[in-house]
Amino acid sequence: MRTFVIAVFAFLYLPIALVVLFSFNAGRHASEFTGFSVQWYGTALANPFLVEALKNSLFIATTSALLAALCGTAAALGLARVGIRTRAVFDALLGAAIVVPGVVIGISTLVALVQLFTVVNPFLASIWPDDQPPRLALGYGSIIAAHGLFSMALVTMIVGTRLGSLDRNLVEASSDLYATPLTTFRSIVLPQIMPAIVAGFLLAFTFSFDDFIIAFFVAGAQTTLPIYVFASIRRGVTPEINAIATIVLVASVLLVVLAQWQLRQRKPSN
Amino acid sequence: MLLGPATAWLVVFLVLPFIAIAVFSVGERAPEGGYQAAFTFAQYANLPARATAFWNTMVLAPIGALACLLVAYPVAYYLALRAPQRWRLILLALVVIPFWTSLLMRTYAWMYVLGGRGIPALLAYIGFEDVRLINTPGAVLLGIVYGYLPLMILPIYVSLERLDRRLLEASADLGATPLSTFLSVTLKLSLPGVMTGFSLVMILLLGEYLIPTLLGGGKVFFIGNALVDLFLQSRNWPFGSAIAITLVLVSVVVLIAANRISTRVSGARRVDLI
Amino acid sequence: MSKSYRDGLPISPENFVDQLMRLKRGSIGRRDFLGLTGLGIATAVMAREIGIMPTPAFAAESLGDRMSIATWPNYHDPATFENFKKDTGVAVEVNVFGSNEEMLAKLQAGASGWSLFVPTNYTISTYKKLGIIEPLEMAKLPNFDGSQEDPRFTGEGTIEGVTYAVPKNWGTTGFAVNTKKLTKPMTSWKEFWDTAMAEGDSRTMVHDYQLTTIGNALKYYGYSFNSLKQDELAKAEELLLKVKPHLFAVSSDYQPGMRAGDAWMTMCWTNDGAQLHRDIPEIAYVLGKEGGEIWTDFYAIPKDAPNKPAGYALLNYLMNPQVAVKEHLANGAPSTDARVNKLLPKEVLDNPILYPAADLLTPLEFGAAATLTDPGRAELMARFKSA
Repeated sequence: MRTFVIAVFAFLYLPIALVVLFSFNAGRHASEFTGFSVQWYGTALANPFLVEALKNSLFIATTSALLAALCGTAAALGLARVGIRTRAVFDALLGAAIVVPGVVIGISTLVALVQLFTVVNPFLASIWPDDQPPRLALGYGSIIAAHGLFSMALVTMIVGTRLGSLDRNLVEASSDLYATPLTTFRSIVLPQIMPAIVAGFLLAFTFSFDDFIIAFFVAGAQTTLPIYVFASIRRGVTPEINAIATIVLVASVLLVVLAQWQLRQRKPSN
Repeated sequence: MLLGPATAWLVVFLVLPFIAIAVFSVGERAPEGGYQAAFTFAQYANLPARATAFWNTMVLAPIGALACLLVAYPVAYYLALRAPQRWRLILLALVVIPFWTSLLMRTYAWMYVLGGRGIPALLAYIGFEDVRLINTPGAVLLGIVYGYLPLMILPIYVSLERLDRRLLEASADLGATPLSTFLSVTLKLSLPGVMTGFSLVMILLLGEYLIPTLLGGGKVFFIGNALVDLFLQSRNWPFGSAIAITLVLVSVVVLIAANRISTRVSGARRVDLI
Repeated sequence: MSKSYRDGLPISPENFVDQLMRLKRGSIGRRDFLGLTGLGIATAVMAREIGIMPTPAFAAESLGDRMSIATWPNYHDPATFENFKKDTGVAVEVNVFGSNEEMLAKLQAGASGWSLFVPTNYTISTYKKLGIIEPLEMAKLPNFDGSQEDPRFTGEGTIEGVTYAVPKNWGTTGFAVNTKKLTKPMTSWKEFWDTAMAEGDSRTMVHDYQLTTIGNALKYYGYSFNSLKQDELAKAEELLLKVKPHLFAVSSDYQPGMRAGDAWMTMCWTNDGAQLHRDIPEIAYVLGKEGGEIWTDFYAIPKDAPNKPAGYALLNYLMNPQVAVKEHLANGAPSTDARVNKLLPKEVLDNPILYPAADLLTPLEFGAAATLTDPGRAELMARFKSA
C-alpha cells in the first residue's frame, strides 16, 4: 500500500514538477528544455498584462472571499433564529448556489446582466445631468459577485454547522451574567466560530483564484490569471506563465507553512 | 436583518439569472445570433440533438468519479490509519498543495506529457512507434482523476480519521479476518465520506468544460462543452439556455439520488457537500 | 479625454499660458498639453523631418500604455509588437481566436476589450449591420495607400463608400499533409476526407468553425462551398458525422499537433501551410482541385474599443510597408499591398504555397456573408462537434 501511495503522490506532483522545471527553461517554448535560465521570471514580472492579471485575480479573490465571509457568517447567525419555513427556503437556495455548475452560473449571469445593462444604461443616460453618464458594464463587480455567490453559500454552510455544535449553555450563562448580546457574541460565539469563518474564507479565496469558467463569461474586458493562462495556451505558452505559476505556488506553500508555525506557537498557551 | 445581504445576493445573482435563462429558453435565436423574444418549446424539442454530449457526460462523470474513488481510497486509508503520526500532517498538506497551482497549468502540463513530444516520444525510443495518447477518452479520464483526486481524498480521510480504532481491534479480537474487518467495519463506517466525495466530484464533472477542452481536443465533448459552444460559436442563446436549465435539473436529480443511496447504505442523514 | 492635435491647432496666447500652467500643476499630461496647445503637430513635423518619429500620428494623441488585439494563431511576428512598444510605449496584448464566430460572439456580448481585431472578408458586412465596428478615420492611417491594394481582395472592407476595414493579407484554405506519414499523393478534398477515415485515421484535424469544415465537406460532393441548400447540407453532415470518430481533433490551432507529430493531416490556411513547410519540409500544402476557400483578412476597430488612439496607431504602424514586409515573412501569407510585394524577396513571390497556379485558384470561392449567420450551418457545425 505504501508503494501505491507513493505512486499516487508522484502522479500528483509530476505535472507540478514539470511546470516548475520549465519555468527555468532558457528557450522560448514551454515544450523543449534547452538550458537553465531565470530570465523568464524577469520577463513575467515585466509583462504588464500578466502582472495585471495576477493583481486582478488577487483583488477579486480577496474581495469576494471577504464579502462571502461577512455575508455568509451573518446569514448563518440569522438562520439560527428564523422559522423553519424561511430556513428551508434559504437552505434550498444555498444548496442551489453550490450545486448549479459553474458553467451555468457564468452563462446565466452573463445573460441576465447583459439584459439588465441594455435597460439600465439608456435610463441612466436619460436622467444624467451631463453627457457623461456612468455606464454599467461587465468587469470586477460581476466577477466578484458571481464568485462570491458560491463562496457565500459555502461559508454559510460551514459556519452554520459550527454554530449547530456550539455549546448553548455558555451562551445562556453569559446572558444570565447580564452580558449584552453583543458582548456575548464577541466573547463567546465569535471565538468559537472563528476557525469555521477562516476555513470558509480560505476556501472561497482558493476557489475564486483558480476559477476559469465563471470569469470567462462575466469578466467583460478584465483579465484574471486563469483567463490569461487559457489565452496563453491558445497562443503558445512561454515559460513566463510557468514562472508566475511557480511564484504563486511558492507563495502559497510559504503561507501554509507560516500558518502552521503560528498555530504551533499558540498551542502551548492554550 | 442578518439575512439581508445574503438574501439580496442570492436573489440578484442566482434567482434572477435563473429566471433570465428560463425566459430565454422559450425564445428564438435572432437572425445574426443571440436572442429574440418568442414563446416556443422548440429549443427543448431540439434537446436530442445534443444526446451524445449528454450521454458522454452521464457515462464519463460516474466513471471518472469511480476511478477517482479507487485511487483516492487507499491514499486516504493510509493517511488516516497507517501513516506515522508525525508524517500525517505533512502528507495531508501534500494532498492540498496542488490546489494552489492553477488547474489550468497542471492540465497543460498533461497536454505536454501525453502529447507527441512526451510519453509517445519515449515509447518510440524503445520501439513503439506512433502511439497516440492525447485527445482520447483515456486522456480525459486521466485529467479528471488528476484534477479531482484531492477532493475525493479529503472527505474520505475525515471519515476514516473519526473512526473509533477500538472497533477494529474488537473485530480482530473476535476472529474476523483483516478483509472482513475492512468490509464490515472500516468501509461501512467510511461510507459517508465516500458518498460525499463521490457526489462532489460527480456534480463538478457534470459541468466540466476545461479538461475535455484541453485533453480531448474538441473530440470528447461534455455537455459543458456543448453549452459553451452554443454561446461562443453558434450564438444560439435560447438553445444554450434550454440546455443549461436541463443540466441544472440533471444535477439536482443526481444529488437527490446520491442522498437516497447514501441514506440507504450508511444510514447517514444526508450527504454533506462540504 | 485626449484631443486630436487637429482640434487644438489655433490657440490664443492666453489659452496657451493657461494650458502651460495646468501642465505645471500636473492636471494634464505632457501628451495632452502638446495636443491642446498645437505644439504636438509642430513637434511631430519636426520629429518626422529629422527622422525621430516613425509616423506622425503618434506624436499628438495620448496612446495610453496598453491595448489588446484579437487575431489568429501564429499570425504575427512577435517582434512587431515589441518594436511597436519601443516606439510608442504601448504594450500590446495578443488574444488568439479560432473562428470569426467566436470573435463575433465576444463583440456581441459587449466589452471585448480589443482596440484592434482581424476579421475575415465575409464577416465585415455583418459587423457593420450590427453596428459593432467603427468606420475608419482614414486621416489617422497615413501609411495606408488604397491605390496600392489589389482590388481582387480588398473590396469587402468598404461598404457604401465607407471604409470599415483595411486588408492585412489574403490566402487560401487547403490542407497540410505530413508526407512521411501519409505517402500517397493527394490533390482533392475527396481524398482528404477518404484518407481521414483510412490511413489518416485518428491523425486528421479539421477547423473549429462552420465555413471551411462544412464547405470542404460540401466539396466532397462537388457542391458550392457556400451552399445553404438543405439537401446539400444534409449530405455534408452525413459525411462529417461519419468522419468524426476518425478525427484527431476539431481545432483551428493545428500547428502544435502537426509539429509534435500527433497529427498527420489538417485543414490549413496558406500562412500556416507556409510556416509548417518552411520548418518541416516533409509537410506539404495541398489545394483541393474541386475548389474551396479564398479569403482576405482585414484589420478593423470595434466601436467599443477601450483605446482607439492606440488601435489606430498600431494599425497605421502595421500599414507601414517596412513593418508589413517583416510580418509577411513571419506569417507567410501573401500581401495585398503592391508596396510590400516590391520589398519581398524573390523566393517568397515564387512560392507556390502562397501563389498557387491559376487552375487551382480559379475554382476557389470567397466565403459568403450569409454562411456566418445562417442558423442551419451553425447548428450543423455544433451537432458535428458534440457528436
